[in-house]
Amino acid sequence: MKKTISLLLALIMILALCACGQSAAPAPAAAQAPAPAEEPAPAAEPAPEPAALVVDTCILKEADDAMINNYSLLAVNPDAPFADADGNPVTDVELNTVGAAALINWLLSEEGQDLAANYGFDQYGEYLFYLKDGRPVSTAEIPAATEETKKIRLSTTTSVNDSGLLGYLLPIFEDKYGYEVEVYSAGTGKSIANAKMGNADLILVHSKKQEEAFIEEGFSYVLDGMDAERLNWMYNYFVLCGPSADPAGVKEAADVKAAFKAIADGKYTFISRGDGSGTHTKEISLWPEELGITADAESFKDYTDWYISANTGMGACLVMAEEMHAYILTDKATFLTFVANDGVMG
Amino acid sequence: MGSSIRKAIELILSADPELLNILSTTAKVCLTSSVLALVIGVPLGILFGAERFPGRKVLLVLNRTLIGMPPVVCGLLFYMLFSGVGPFRHLHLLFTVKLMIIAQVVLITPIIIGVMETFVADTAPALRETTRGLGFGRIKEYKLLINECLYSIFSAYLLSFARAIAEVGAVAMVGGAIAWKTNVMTTAIMMYTNRGSFTLGIALGLILLTLSLLVNVVLSLMQGRLSR
Repeated sequence: MKKTISLLLALIMILALCACGQSAAPAPAAAQAPAPAEEPAPAAEPAPEPAALVVDTCILKEADDAMINNYSLLAVNPDAPFADADGNPVTDVELNTVGAAALINWLLSEEGQDLAANYGFDQYGEYLFYLKDGRPVSTAEIPAATEETKKIRLSTTTSVNDSGLLGYLLPIFEDKYGYEVEVYSAGTGKSIANAKMGNADLILVHSKKQEEAFIEEGFSYVLDGMDAERLNWMYNYFVLCGPSADPAGVKEAADVKAAFKAIADGKYTFISRGDGSGTHTKEISLWPEELGITADAESFKDYTDWYISANTGMGACLVMAEEMHAYILTDKATFLTFVANDGVMG
Repeated sequence: MGSSIRKAIELILSADPELLNILSTTAKVCLTSSVLALVIGVPLGILFGAERFPGRKVLLVLNRTLIGMPPVVCGLLFYMLFSGVGPFRHLHLLFTVKLMIIAQVVLITPIIIGVMETFVADTAPALRETTRGLGFGRIKEYKLLINECLYSIFSAYLLSFARAIAEVGAVAMVGGAIAWKTNVMTTAIMMYTNRGSFTLGIALGLILLTLSLLVNVVLSLMQGRLSR
C-alpha cells in the first residue's frame, strides 16, 4: 500500500517535470521562430511578439498647475512625542538620525539632484521627475557609515518605489558611503503611521496636508543647514488618462477641472484608486464641488454607474482602466512604466 | 496562462539575483519556522493526547481557537509589540527574518499540537492496554507510542510546511516586504499584483507551487519509507 503511494507520487513528479519541460521547449521556439523568418523580409511588421497588448489608454491632460505632484523628505525627530498603543509616552525610541541626515544631504546634494532629474530619460524618452525652483540644496559633508549608523529605514509611498527611482539612486549612495537603506513602501497614510510608530528614520511622501500634520504633531525636525522640516525638492505631474477616442472630449477642456466636469456630466466610466493614497486625495480635489465626492463611500453611492472605487494599487487600476475604456488619474511616472511594459498584463 | 508559464521559466533560467534572494528568504523562513513548530508542537501534542490532567480540556479549546487565528492579526500583534514604540523595541526585531519566523511559529504550532493530539488520543488507550499487559515501563511505552506516531508526525509537518509557505498576512506585517531583506514569494506576489503586473505574479505563484510540489514529493517518499 505504502509502496503504491510512493510510486504514485514519483509518477506525479515525473509528469510535472515533463509538463514543465514541454512548455519550456515550445516557448523559446515560438519566440525565436518569427525572428529568422523576418530577416529576409524586412518589410514585415516590426513587432515580432505575437500577442503584444497595445495600450489604448493615453495621456489626455497634463502639465496643468492643478496637477503638480510634490515630493518631500522629512527627517523623523528623535525627540518626537512617540506614544505606545495605549497612548503612554515612550521616550527612548532609537532612531538613526546620523544616517537619515546623510541620506537627505546626499539626495539634496548636486550629485543626488542631478541623478534624480535625469532619471528615466534613457528608458522612457521623458524626464519622470523635475527639480523644484528654490529647492533646498545641501553642501554638507556626508560621513561614511559606521557600525551604529549603517542601517537607514526609509518609509515611502508606493508611487516613488514603483517608478524605480529609489532602486536607481540608493545603490549609488550605498556603494559610495557604505550605508544600507531599507525601503518600507506603502500608501502615504500607512507609511506615515509606520514612522509615527518609531519604525522609520526618514520619510519620502507626496501629500502636503498629511506632511504638515506630521510636522505639527512634532514628529519632524529641522536638520542642520536646512530652513524647514519639509524638504520639498522635486515634483512631477499627475496626468488624466483615458481611451484614445476620448468620448468625453477632455482634450478640448479648458483646464483639468473642466475635464473632470465633462467626465461627470457625460457619466463616462472613471476608475478611482479609492484607497486614501496621495493620488486618491488629489483626484477627490478635482471633481466639481456640487458632486460632493469625498473618500467616504457614502458620498458617491449615487454615481456607482460610472464612478468605480477600485481600492487597489496604481498599476492594478491602470489595468482596469485599460480593460473598461475608462478615464483615470495617475502619476506620470507609473503611467509611463505601464505603457513601456505593454500594459503589464501582457 | 501560457505567457505566465513562459515568464516563470524565463525567470528561473535567467537566475535573476532578486528572485534568488526572494527564494532563499522564503526557504529560510518557512523551513525554519515549520521545523521549530514541529519541535515544539509534537511533544506537546503527544502529551495532550496521551495524558489526562486537570485543565487539559481548557488548553485544548484554547489551542483550537489559536488554530483559527487570522495570520494578519498575529502579524499586527507582533508589529505592535516589536515596533519602535512597543514594549520589545530594544530587541530590534521588527522587519527582520527572525521575527517573521517567530510569528509563523506562533501560527503553526497550534496546528501541529491539534493534529498530534487527535492521533495520539485515538491510539494511546489501545497501546497502553498492550504495554501494561506486557509489563513495560513508562519510557518504553512512550517509545512505542512515538514509533506509532511517525506517520502522523510527517503528516503534521507537511501541513505546517504548507501553512508556512502559503502564509502572507503575518510575514507582510512583521517583515514589511523589504527588498533584499524580508521579501518572500507571497509578499512579492502581493506587490506585483498591486502594481498590476499580474503575469509576473502568476509566474512567481507557479514557481512557488512547483517548489512546494517538490518538497512534498520528497517528504511523502520519506514518510512512506519510514513508516513501513
